[in-house]
Amino acid sequence: MNNKKVLIVEDDADVRLGYRILLQANHYDTVLAADAIGAISEASKQPLDLIVLDLGLPAGDGFVVLEKLQVNPQLSMIPVIVVSGRDLHANKERALKAGASAFVQKPWNDDELLALISQLVTRPGDLVSRVPNTEGS
Amino acid sequence: MNGKPVQVLLVEDSAGDVSLIRAMLKSEGPASFELTHMVFMGEAEVHLAKGGVDVVLLDMGLPDAHGLESLRRARAAAPGVPLIVMTGLEDEALAAEAMAEGAQDYMIKGQIESHALPRALRHAIERQRMQTETNLFWKNQAQFKEEFLSHVSHELRSPLTAIKQFTSILAGGLAGELNKEQREYLQIVLKNIGQLQSMIDDLLEVPRLKTGKLTIELERVSVANAVTDCCNTFQGSARAKGVTLSYDLPAELPPAHADPTRLRQILIILLDNAIKFTPSGGSVKIQAQVLPQDPSFLLLEISDTGCGMSPEMTGRVFERLYQASGSAPASRKGLGLGLFICKELVTLQGGQISVKSQLDLGSTFSFMLPVFSLSNSIAPLFHNGRWPADSVALVMVKTCFLDASKESQEEGSQQVRSLVERCLMPNLDVLLPKMSYGAEGERFFVAAFANEKGASILVNRIRDQFKRLLQPKQTGLTLSVSYTMLQPFPADAGASAEERVTSMSSHLEQSIQSQSLSEASFHE
Repeated sequence: MNNKKVLIVEDDADVRLGYRILLQANHYDTVLAADAIGAISEASKQPLDLIVLDLGLPAGDGFVVLEKLQVNPQLSMIPVIVVSGRDLHANKERALKAGASAFVQKPWNDDELLALISQLVTRPGDLVSRVPNTEGS
Repeated sequence: MNGKPVQVLLVEDSAGDVSLIRAMLKSEGPASFELTHMVFMGEAEVHLAKGGVDVVLLDMGLPDAHGLESLRRARAAAPGVPLIVMTGLEDEALAAEAMAEGAQDYMIKGQIESHALPRALRHAIERQRMQTETNLFWKNQAQFKEEFLSHVSHELRSPLTAIKQFTSILAGGLAGELNKEQREYLQIVLKNIGQLQSMIDDLLEVPRLKTGKLTIELERVSVANAVTDCCNTFQGSARAKGVTLSYDLPAELPPAHADPTRLRQILIILLDNAIKFTPSGGSVKIQAQVLPQDPSFLLLEISDTGCGMSPEMTGRVFERLYQASGSAPASRKGLGLGLFICKELVTLQGGQISVKSQLDLGSTFSFMLPVFSLSNSIAPLFHNGRWPADSVALVMVKTCFLDASKESQEEGSQQVRSLVERCLMPNLDVLLPKMSYGAEGERFFVAAFANEKGASILVNRIRDQFKRLLQPKQTGLTLSVSYTMLQPFPADAGASAEERVTSMSSHLEQSIQSQSLSEASFHE
């Protein structure tokens, strides 16, 4: 099996379980973390293809996690989807600036989330051949 | 008001009046009032700006400021300081106007009684203090409301997320096969989750509309696409209710100058309402056309054969929190925010919304949106009757995103847009609204009054700024900038300014359209 591995950072145990069921049914391996510290320690332990990150976490919120990921050259390469119930307008831009690849509002639509995940787990190497050389001289 | 004396600034050019007022205040004792006197508005402004004045006594006929102007200047210099204006007997009407503009009181010269003046000054200070407190209270209330709603909707979303997640897991068969009935029931649960979700979204939208924090981005939008998309979305729920949903669009419907997301939001609210209030066997229809009375607007109408409304209700239906009372037995009420949001969104996009309805026969909601016009965008270039020579360049900025996520693409194109805007010369170049030509990447177009040399300078400036500011390697964003010269078109001496704008916009339109087929005509 060569499944892509997704780290889920979510403090709500029910929601965490829901993610696991959905992602496993769609052939992703999942690693779970319930807070910021767990998130960084899991991310450092193993190679990951994607992180799904909640913003409201105990002991340091999702922005703290984004910050910690950004300062580590290896971890900063992992795409992050921020999934939050917080106000989209107030948080989306901030999350994207902090290094997230996408912001998804809770509750999400499964099909859209899965499509986004499958786009983002495509490793940069897979894309290179499709990048047109359009930058002017 | 014990302790420190009240600091009074008297702005008055008549020496007699000054000594009269000085005497009146002196009789109150030295500890009560301290008077500073100035003759000119100019010096009073400087003094007020320094602070420390408790109340201003202002003559409305100063050597360097007359009438309401002196009041406005004083208020601008010290917005929170109470003002009493002094006028002559024949000017009482002016004094009333001054009150309407924020003066706390007025006094008629020659009729000021010595015991009334100190009282008027103290009243003015006290009233101003109460006003400031009240304003602050309302401001805090509004802020509290927004924070509260934001908090509540976040807290409501968390459990709703888990509910939706597990319902979807069950409905998707991830926890075992379902029979037909079970699947149907879970669809009903999901539908209701959707309703709850949009109510939570509405709760947040309203304070944002009130505080002007909601953003509208106008671009060229195909109304026909929006209408057909939204109809397709609702086709299922209409059919399930036994309601016929149809649309009627003319073959050639011009695009609107609107925000595509907000246009959809409006259509969704109106369609959802129409289907909700129409019984089985009824119909809902959307029509769009150019407004017959004014071709610069599009008219969209959503009509239903539902329960309709009384005249009293039609008058109030766009109010916030207004709800239909008892007329729709079968349906659940919402929060009473949808039509309010609709009205605000239509207004923000430069349109108007109205409703016609007859009880038991149905309702028609109509709204107008401006037709997209390149002419409107480039018209500012022709201000003061200026007509550029025959050289106009069309600059194309094409972006390509390595990052596949839609969010960061939007973010990226926003950055590119503002970067391009910074490179433009005011009155010579104009960034055209988004027009959605071409499928891959984003394209921005600039109409520039420039010859070949000018155009290539602009192109280089955009490239330089891009490399310097957006760090293309990191953001995964690439950019190509090119230009084409428009066919020279003669500045026909007989043509009106309007005709020239129209002629130039159709030139631009043609170039933009043809470039989506072939980019050969563009120079790097």
